[in-house]
Amino acid sequence: MRSQAMFFKARVGDKLADRVLQENLGKAKSKFVDARARAVAEYERDEGADFEALREAGKEIRNRTLANLDVWLETFEAKATERGGQVMYARDGAEICRLVTEIAQRHGVNKVVKSKSMLSEEAALNQALAAAGIQPIETDLGEYILQINDNEPPSHIIAPAFHKSKEQVAELFMRTHGSSKKSGIEEMTREARETLRGHFLSATMGISGGNFLIAETGSVSLVTNEGNGRMVTTLPKVHVVITGIEKVIPTLEDFATLMRLLPRSATGQHISNYVSVLTGVKGADELDGPEHLYFILVDNGRASLVGTEFQEMLRCIRCGACMNHCPVYQTVGGHAYGWVYPGPMGSVLTPLYTGIANALDLPHAATLCGQCSVVCPVKIPLPELLRGLREKQVEMDLRPWSERIALRLWGWVARRPKLYALATKIGVRYLNWLADGTDRIQVLGVAPEWTRGRDFPAPEGRTFRELYAERRTGQGR
Amino acid sequence: MDAREDILFRVRVALGRTDANRPAAAADVQAAFAARSQGPRPQLGADLLARFRHESGVQSSSVDEVATLDEVPAAVARYLAERQLPQRAVVWPKYAALPWAQAGLAVEARAAQGDDAVGITGCFCAIAETGTLMTCSAPDTPAATSLLPETHIAIVPLSRIVAGMEDGWALARAELGELPRAVNFISGPSRTGDIEQTIVIGAHGPYRVHLILVRDC
Repeated sequence: MRSQAMFFKARVGDKLADRVLQENLGKAKSKFVDARARAVAEYERDEGADFEALREAGKEIRNRTLANLDVWLETFEAKATERGGQVMYARDGAEICRLVTEIAQRHGVNKVVKSKSMLSEEAALNQALAAAGIQPIETDLGEYILQINDNEPPSHIIAPAFHKSKEQVAELFMRTHGSSKKSGIEEMTREARETLRGHFLSATMGISGGNFLIAETGSVSLVTNEGNGRMVTTLPKVHVVITGIEKVIPTLEDFATLMRLLPRSATGQHISNYVSVLTGVKGADELDGPEHLYFILVDNGRASLVGTEFQEMLRCIRCGACMNHCPVYQTVGGHAYGWVYPGPMGSVLTPLYTGIANALDLPHAATLCGQCSVVCPVKIPLPELLRGLREKQVEMDLRPWSERIALRLWGWVARRPKLYALATKIGVRYLNWLADGTDRIQVLGVAPEWTRGRDFPAPEGRTFRELYAERRTGQGR
Repeated sequence: MDAREDILFRVRVALGRTDANRPAAAADVQAAFAARSQGPRPQLGADLLARFRHESGVQSSSVDEVATLDEVPAAVARYLAERQLPQRAVVWPKYAALPWAQAGLAVEARAAQGDDAVGITGCFCAIAETGTLMTCSAPDTPAATSLLPETHIAIVPLSRIVAGMEDGWALARAELGELPRAVNFISGPSRTGDIEQTIVIGAHGPYRVHLILVRDC
């Protein structure tokens, strides 16, 4: 998928003005937040259960493999190969598309059922498969809704159609399935189930992502509620796993710990309905399961984070809690971010994976309120990483000339206390004059852009320095 | 350079990998496998059965209890009749020999197909902490039986209820050696919240999960 992150500001304007979207976001936003809070509280009712300790453990598990990622990958690879899987690597989206197409052609596949894979979004795999004459079918309900809406990109990593109302889905189903228009969510879900069931039974290849790769056993784990992850890895004769090189974890015990964190952080469930740990291929006497298993382990920018100040981002387990709790995401939705990953984790990943210069606004699309790092199950310091990206923009001379001159000027003045005192004294009076006796400024004279969508609070009266000097000389009011 | 070498090369450079520090990294891998240390776990107390029953309810599974395996078919027939579901099912070959016909059920032991209405399975063990079934695939315990039919009925011996997922892994290592192709943890019927974050039961998998606890087996 080509990043559109450079158009963030323009898109935000559109999203804020989109009444339907705003209504949909308003309806959805508190659901995940409330569910997570409830799940954490319920978890802590048990003796000895401390969610903070769990987060710390999750962080340590992820750090352990990242610290020696090369050796852990080799260990996973050896074990997965021993069990009959074939491990391949892809540097970027184009290589993913080439490998998957080759595998499909090798096995004479003309239809592929897909469980959710964000990496296949990074690679725009569906378009590549279609171009090769292979029909890709998204089977996660949210992803399916978007696929039949002309391959619309997802707006949330675990609820891809987060931005859509049921009325919009009903319209889409009527148009695509040629059926009567449904009004209830249950009826629509059944209609999708019936449509997709035929595809599950007839497709000869399944593609999934991977929540984790378990080094000890050479397994991939999949976490779903719908059961589509199980379908695409049980029925077709070929299973292709596409996942990032950073997803490897040591042991099954570590997996158990992470599974106490992931569902609670994502949807507020104690556990997701279906958690699968898949190892190797179907045995000779088995009645179901794939005969061929391929792992495509993808870099696409990940290796360049290893050993840098941004390595902590690689701990991410893709739960979506950061975006659920982000006031910016809640207001503009996921599409404004312009690439696969929205919200705070997207504002870190998009510039790092697609180029800092191509996503200049994203690290600034944060109030740095810190809520994302408070809820992150693996304690990624997202606000610090966003600040780090802002610093990189300055170091790389990517900020606009007006901002650079303004900051240089401010620095020059700030180093001259008398001049600074005079400048702020004049500034405060100028702002008070603009406020014209009220407590807010509607058009900020020197920077009108600032007040285009909000008022600027008027200063109280005099500068801090004036008040402080007054108090020191005992003339305080 | 091929993709594998290229990616691993860059990771090694980024980590400062040398011949000198490689043994320490390999030792950390071996140490992790040897220790298999567990993270923080909730203490569930002694009554795992009560916890399992409660959590199964949270997951929207229904629960019945019988004394012996031979009573299972009648319990299945009763459940299906109460819900006006067809008295026919596909069952794990592992349980082919139970007295199904005596209970008036037409049960076939084979791989599940897309139009089977009821699937009957057992479980490798069951996890009290979350009301979860742990199933392991094998020739006589195929995976699709718990997935394709609209109704999934599972036999759960009380002796196989363990506290947490870690205990399930320990059992698997002890009894199976290495992991089977598919270990599936199943917690209630399939569901989705993808339209307006409203939970709907019965996405792609079963609409109903019914657990039959068996006291003596």
